[in-house]
Amino acid sequence: MAGRDFLRYGGNTTSVELVSRAGQRLLIDLGTGATELAKQLMGSEFGKGQGRLPILLSHTHLDHIQGLPFFTPFFIKGNEIRILGAKPVGGGSLEGTLQNQLAPHYSPLNGLENLAAGVSIDEITPGQRIALPGFDVKTIAVPHGSMWTTAYRITGDGKTVTYLSDVEYPDLDAPLPEAIELAKDADLLIHDAMHADHDYDLRRGWGHSPARAGVVVAERSGAKKLALFHHSPDATDEMIDEVVQRTSARTAVPVFAAAEGSYLEV
Amino acid sequence: MQITFWGVRGSYPVPGAATVRYGGQTSCVEARSAKGDCLIVDAGTGLRALGNKLMREATGPQRYDVLLSHVHWDHIQGLPFFSPAYVPGTRIAVHALLTAADELQQVIGGITRHEFFPMPLEAVPAQFDFHQVEPGVEFDLSAFHITPIALNHPFGSVGYRIDCDGASWAYIADTAPFDQVIHKQHFLSGPEPLSADDKVSLVAMREALVRRLDGVDTVVYDTHFLPEEYARFPHYGHSTPDQALEICAEAKVRRLVLYHHAPSHGDDQMDQIAATYLAAGAAIGIEVLTSFEGMTLPIGGEFSGPERTNPGIGPGNGRA
Repeated sequence: MAGRDFLRYGGNTTSVELVSRAGQRLLIDLGTGATELAKQLMGSEFGKGQGRLPILLSHTHLDHIQGLPFFTPFFIKGNEIRILGAKPVGGGSLEGTLQNQLAPHYSPLNGLENLAAGVSIDEITPGQRIALPGFDVKTIAVPHGSMWTTAYRITGDGKTVTYLSDVEYPDLDAPLPEAIELAKDADLLIHDAMHADHDYDLRRGWGHSPARAGVVVAERSGAKKLALFHHSPDATDEMIDEVVQRTSARTAVPVFAAAEGSYLEV
Repeated sequence: MQITFWGVRGSYPVPGAATVRYGGQTSCVEARSAKGDCLIVDAGTGLRALGNKLMREATGPQRYDVLLSHVHWDHIQGLPFFSPAYVPGTRIAVHALLTAADELQQVIGGITRHEFFPMPLEAVPAQFDFHQVEPGVEFDLSAFHITPIALNHPFGSVGYRIDCDGASWAYIADTAPFDQVIHKQHFLSGPEPLSADDKVSLVAMREALVRRLDGVDTVVYDTHFLPEEYARFPHYGHSTPDQALEICAEAKVRRLVLYHHAPSHGDDQMDQIAATYLAAGAAIGIEVLTSFEGMTLPIGGEFSGPERTNPGIGPGNGRA
């Protein structure tokens, strides 16, 4: 969403970067937010073709991959970018799906093979554990409407971030034990909060959570901080402020709304 | 007739403080006849807000016509978020260039494949029809008479001349100029040498464009690049305002609207571009306007200047 009502929290779609103390990077999802990150990365080793970046995809719905064709580190020879994600539900392979995104009808890039950087696509199976430079990653599958997405628990420098976006639990008051386990004692829980609690009843079954779902998971898992995430395109800055206020009033867990371009020391 | 701009960007949407005045949504323009017929040109992210407005106006299921210039993401990614598509009984007719052997339905259906969007096209409540357009083959949609025009863009693209209520405008996006590069159906990593046939094709394409634009009141043109940017990326399939002015001058066009702005051009730079080309156009008798999200333009009759559909947006807003 673009415009005056979306300036503070931001209007780009999903993308989160993690940086270890030693400078190793990890990106989760490639929404349009990745185009903003790309501008910064081009001023670093990625501009010189010496960048290394693993990217974890939660799933391949457009709002999580639409930054891919415009993520400039892909256009610099020498960069090594590794995309990891599960085989898309109801589709072909992960590589086939991303190839289809860059098919000549949709994109002049005309295929992954025309990206100058070295790009590898690794299909993972949720449940699998992944060792990446500087980060240890656990994965699970979580329900998202008629399909499922991959959630991640990422540990680096002894700190843990759990990413549970695009998730809707069948029973809001009893989130999946696997999700609670994934967020166990996490220093930061990033959770789908697409809907304000009072809007949720109309949108049940669409695959997204109301703000209070993140609270339930945070409280039961002992997560130390909760970031409300994946805001609805209809949620203006003021509406998000109100959701944060109402949510904070109901829990002892510190709650904030993820804002574009904000940095957080975990 | 009047037209309203719902998305003026190329490539990808750019929200944020740098784009509040000109807007950050991708390509989408709405045309309205005097008696209220609606025609949608391109379905970028601007389509979402247009759809929400149409929902507020509609009293029941409707029929909407959507002309697509081509199917690159920035021209179609609003479709899954077009709320009238979720109204049973509504019919949405999509008109586009059929390229290569693929069926348009497959291409549009591909956007809503399960990997990209939760609902497959067959499950969307509105009924979608697909119609092939061919350059030079004219047709009518409600009050509008439409002439598709071949353009120079990777994998093919068409512009449209649209006549209605005794007036005319044209939508010329996306296109490269017609000299240095010819776009076909393969990946270009840079300009390639032109064969004799290529040169003949480019001349013919340019002549046909100028002929079709002859005497058109208002031309909306892909002016993604500034000249220095074009010099670096001549193979990206976009034009500069100077190239658009040259075509409009030859076709005796009265008014040129700069459109499909590069995502990197923030509001302040857009102000400069607008001022520079307003002057350049005035010098040769062409009025040059720079499109912004929410701009409504009357087409035909005496020119009465742009209006703001969205009072929060527009080049003058937010400045002293």
